[in-house]
Amino acid sequence: MIEEYLEKILWTYMFFVMIATFGVSIYGIVFRPNMLKKIIALTIFGDTANVFMIFIGYRAIYPIKPPVLWTSHPDKNVLNTFVSQSIDPVPPALVITAIVINMAITLLITFLAIQAYRLYGSLDVRDLSKLKG
Amino acid sequence: MKKADVFVIASIIVFILSLAYITALGGLGPLPPINVRRIAINYLNLTYNTFTPYLTVFALESVTSIVWDFRGLDTLYETAVFYAAIIASIALYRGVYMDFKKNTEKTGLSPIAKTVTRISLILIPTVSASVALHGHLTPGGGFQAGSIATVVIVLSIIIFSRYFLPIHGLSKNKALLFRSIGLLGIAITSIALLLIAIVLGVNAYIFQNQAKIDAPLSFPSLVDNYILGGSLLFFNLFEFIAVAFGFTIVFLLLSISEEKVKKVTMDG
Repeated sequence: MIEEYLEKILWTYMFFVMIATFGVSIYGIVFRPNMLKKIIALTIFGDTANVFMIFIGYRAIYPIKPPVLWTSHPDKNVLNTFVSQSIDPVPPALVITAIVINMAITLLITFLAIQAYRLYGSLDVRDLSKLKG
Repeated sequence: MKKADVFVIASIIVFILSLAYITALGGLGPLPPINVRRIAINYLNLTYNTFTPYLTVFALESVTSIVWDFRGLDTLYETAVFYAAIIASIALYRGVYMDFKKNTEKTGLSPIAKTVTRISLILIPTVSASVALHGHLTPGGGFQAGSIATVVIVLSIIIFSRYFLPIHGLSKNKALLFRSIGLLGIAITSIALLLIAIVLGVNAYIFQNQAKIDAPLSFPSLVDNYILGGSLLFFNLFEFIAVAFGFTIVFLLLSISEEKVKKVTMDG
């Protein structure tokens, strides 16, 4: 009973932390004028979304195993045990894709930020927005 | 504080609270769930299932099976996005060439750091190759392995010098060539069975791994009792090459002298 209660508190705490991190990262993206800080906030946002996805794929059961089959000669019982104990493999697969896309975007905007600094000597969006031509 | 700022902060707080409330109400279902979704049950059942040979992947790792078989085309485009981002980054450095300063003995960190790094430079590629080649058996795969391998590049630049890699023959263009070979390997693997099927006059599909009811060709899934996972092994290998050299290009570009880049950028 106490264990169940503690587990519920811990899960709620985890979700609260994740949603709070979402808030902090959105604040960084919207409010911080420095482009580098915006990029950092964007990566925090993406990583938090990925952690959230992993939590969605987790299962509140015991024992729980990774989605890796342990034998190359599985019979029906092994397959049933595998399906009943494994985590959902779809969110991790989506997260891998998300990480690559997130990284590609971060890479590109970081290079653009570096180029902007080289050309205009500032990473402040207020200064950059005043430029003409 | 301006009114607009107060409005934006209030909007963010309302958004976060709404998200928390929706989640607490069960908008995403019970979190964490007890049962997996139906699609996940299918994927788990078909990862390595000798009872349904026309639907299975014949690999032990479900996530890699999904990434490179069940939704392989999606992953191909994802790799293409990463490739496009690197090409765009290279375009920003057009006209900038890397330095070749001969003597790197006097540059870099201490001899202790250099010796430790020399040992690591052998171990890290070994680990990354293992992660890539076992991606269909254990957690890991081409992207993870490529990311690990890139540590070698970062370490070399920091510990020795930014001239270390160009002197040892690893230039931006060479890395781009290997990166293109990796991507070409992924493309060829995705249509390999289709090309063979055209020659043999049988049916096949793009991204086909194992034989289907109406398409009899398969990649080898078991050789001498060793599970190969069909096309998954090749995809992981080529993705490993593509990602490792993609990151290499990025770090090589970032290591170019800032004064030099600035001069080329300003002069046009």
